[in-house]
Amino acid sequence: MTVSPIGREIDRVDGPLKVTGSAPYAADYRPEGLVYAYLVQATVGRGTVRGMDVSRAEAAPGVIAVFTPFHPLPLKSPSGESGENYSALQDTAVRFRGQIIGLVVADTFERARDAAALVSADYTVTPSRTSLADAGPGVPQGLVQKLAPGVSSIDAALASSPVTITTSVSQHAHHHIAMEPHATTAVWVDDQLTVYCGAQSPQRAAATIAARLGVEPAKVRLICRYTGGGFGQRSPVWNEALLCAAAARALRRPVKLVLSREQVFTAIGHRAAVRQTIRLGAEADGRLRALSHDSDGELPAAGGWQMMPGRDTSAVAYRTPNIRIDQRLVTLDTPPTWSMRAPAEAPGMFALETAMDELAVRTGVDPVELRLRNYATEDPVEGHPFSSKYLDECYRVGAERFGWSRRTALPRSQTDGDWLIGMGMASALYPAWRQPASARARFRDDGRVAVASATSDVGTGAFTMLAVVGADELGLPVSSIAAEVGDSALPPGGVGAYGSSVTTSTVPAVQAACRAAVKALVQSAVDNPRSPFAGLAPATVRYRQGRIEANGRSVDFRTLLRTMGVPHVEAVSTSAPDKSASQYKFHCFGAHFCEVRVHRLTGEPRVNRFTSVFDVGRVVNAKAARGQLTGAIIWGIGHALLEADPIEPDGRFAAASMADYLVPVHADTPEIDVHWLDRPDPHISEFGARGLGEIGLVSSAAAIGNAVFNATGIRVHDLPITIDKLL
Amino acid sequence: MRLNVTVNGEPRQAEDVWPGESLLYVLRERLGLPGSKNACEQGECGSCTVYLDGTPVCACLVAAGQAEGREVRTVEGLAEGEALDRVQQSFVDAGAVQCGFCTPGLVVAAHDLLARVPEPTDPEIREALAGNLCRCTGYEKILDAVRLAARR
Ligand code: FES
Ligand code: FES
Repeated sequence: MTVSPIGREIDRVDGPLKVTGSAPYAADYRPEGLVYAYLVQATVGRGTVRGMDVSRAEAAPGVIAVFTPFHPLPLKSPSGESGENYSALQDTAVRFRGQIIGLVVADTFERARDAAALVSADYTVTPSRTSLADAGPGVPQGLVQKLAPGVSSIDAALASSPVTITTSVSQHAHHHIAMEPHATTAVWVDDQLTVYCGAQSPQRAAATIAARLGVEPAKVRLICRYTGGGFGQRSPVWNEALLCAAAARALRRPVKLVLSREQVFTAIGHRAAVRQTIRLGAEADGRLRALSHDSDGELPAAGGWQMMPGRDTSAVAYRTPNIRIDQRLVTLDTPPTWSMRAPAEAPGMFALETAMDELAVRTGVDPVELRLRNYATEDPVEGHPFSSKYLDECYRVGAERFGWSRRTALPRSQTDGDWLIGMGMASALYPAWRQPASARARFRDDGRVAVASATSDVGTGAFTMLAVVGADELGLPVSSIAAEVGDSALPPGGVGAYGSSVTTSTVPAVQAACRAAVKALVQSAVDNPRSPFAGLAPATVRYRQGRIEANGRSVDFRTLLRTMGVPHVEAVSTSAPDKSASQYKFHCFGAHFCEVRVHRLTGEPRVNRFTSVFDVGRVVNAKAARGQLTGAIIWGIGHALLEADPIEPDGRFAAASMADYLVPVHADTPEIDVHWLDRPDPHISEFGARGLGEIGLVSSAAAIGNAVFNATGIRVHDLPITIDKLL
Repeated sequence: MRLNVTVNGEPRQAEDVWPGESLLYVLRERLGLPGSKNACEQGECGSCTVYLDGTPVCACLVAAGQAEGREVRTVEGLAEGEALDRVQQSFVDAGAVQCGFCTPGLVVAAHDLLARVPEPTDPEIREALAGNLCRCTGYEKILDAVRLAARR
């Protein structure tokens, strides 16, 4: 009997290739005749390119071509898809500092880079709008409001509450910092383009590239088997990749474009800077009467992702009779924004959970108890019940594992030498999203089953998820499954690796494909004249753990396929959510408990330890789940203590390099106790998994901030929490 | 220049090398060894870590000319045939690999640490790997991997 691998500690199937350096990423391909491209970027914040001098670049050794707005590569305008709202080099407008205004192609990378430095541009400069505070308040985009009968406005509900809290928080732009800089290798063979380019959604990316190049969708194949991180920055296709493909077409030879790390900061979208205000109205015992969440998010004139931090957070988190969420967008002349891991939820829950901590302090109610008093069993705005919610158990288990009862509510009451010790907690939530998805299962005559779906493994563990679910469904060892992702040529219907939706959506598709493939295998066993089962009724033939059995005969599928002379038997299936799903609100939940220390004399904040407990439905692979959750919690350290890229008045990012933009390193990592409840979601799918790639980040920054307050009595509202703010 | 360098035990030559280009570029684009990764080109991330005459270096900061006549060992040269090196195996076993882009550099850095300090303490591990950024794992499992490799 094969033991089911579901929920066990399964090694990543792509691990051996990655530890030996033999997994190819986008920049690792070296097709015959390859040449190299390098970007030229605008050095002013806003205006027009009056003219460019490319003569020195064109005369430089090894240079093949220099493209500019005055000698462009043709690209169609974007239509419909969100993201950048213009195509590079098609006009002379400068929308932000760092916008692409040229592409130099040469026979080596170094020569392309040198020549790019020789390109000069003349600009007409107009003043940039870069300050969120000065340019706001923004234009209302997403208003959510629910008022109790007889209540005239949220202000009235707040005014009549015995206790009110007003908390304003702000954060600068954040960058994804996927470790792989954006890279594209584009190869045309006749009119067929193959693009090697990291992408979270290979099929959507291929379709976008085709549309922007003006070719048939079938002419573009995108391959991203191995991708060095996504976190949102690889869900759209950016201008750089389009230019690379267009240059390869124009020059009739393969072109590779690898962005320098600094270029990634501006050529690729960032998480919008955002300012938020939470107003809470409560009874003296902490029960909420009113919750108001206002936000002003950066929205670049060049396009980008809309920062809506209240919708999936304050509108969902607590039982409240009166809620108003007013999300506004402020137009700035900044590089494009884009969704970044827990894109709205991380900032939104930082704001809400900071305010809740302030309410706990004001009312003297323990922070865990305060959250239990406001526990929502249904969506407070829409009224739909949650499909499955065990957040109360997360609080209980987390508090126990962490030792929450040892906390003293009074700030500065615990010390360790010169260090002030503080404990804080916060609750997390993230929407669970099941999309229609498709997968293919293929019994092969080499004895393995290929399980494929056109999604992407950006480090999430999608390869291994396919292998585990396929193995479970077919009663085979994980090693008998060959998992395939990261190729737009796989059957249509792969889901993008965003919104924590791949596992939720794809597991049911894999199960359906495996079942259909078994059926097809049985059918072919009775139909094929060379099969030992030829002529039997399909109902009398059964599949069990890789073997076909009937009439006392049992043959493994490899032997059967070889006997029949059939190289493989396969099925493709699509699986979509049930209609009944619309009755429910689907969310993941979690509770973070955190201990920090802050140095009494230097103000240095350090995270000592974390305990985080999650309710994420059924887990496919414990090893991958722990990696995703732990990695995301660490992002909360970045969010709370390190990450910020302020923008200067001239439109320049102040920290646009890896030396200046700080992300957590090994030495910042505390002891992390990650735990999840094993509670399959009965309504999301038969399997019951909800995605967990983002929830770890949601509110981990708030737990740190709340612990810093407990340690010091100082509430820092403007992130990151740095030494200067704690002295 | 013509560059002569021994890579993973084999004498290799590259023609028309500009002495100022990086060793990382030579390995990746001229010698067909893309295992070492380029993630910052400024010595901040460690993704490009290789051995140069037995000392781990950021290959992005070494000029090709400086590697003339010297010995380089990359992540591609750690395994003995099919068998993974204990550090590589431990990274797989401990779940220390996610997107894998930081992995080659980390594997080389951890390999070097264990060669110098067979039983490193946790602070020694953190210190030795402090120059290697990883955006996926949260580092916990990397620590586990090095502890595991040390026991093997
Ligand atoms: S690429 Fe060499 S240290 Fe980052
Ligand atoms: S595994 Fe992705 S950066 Fe380390």
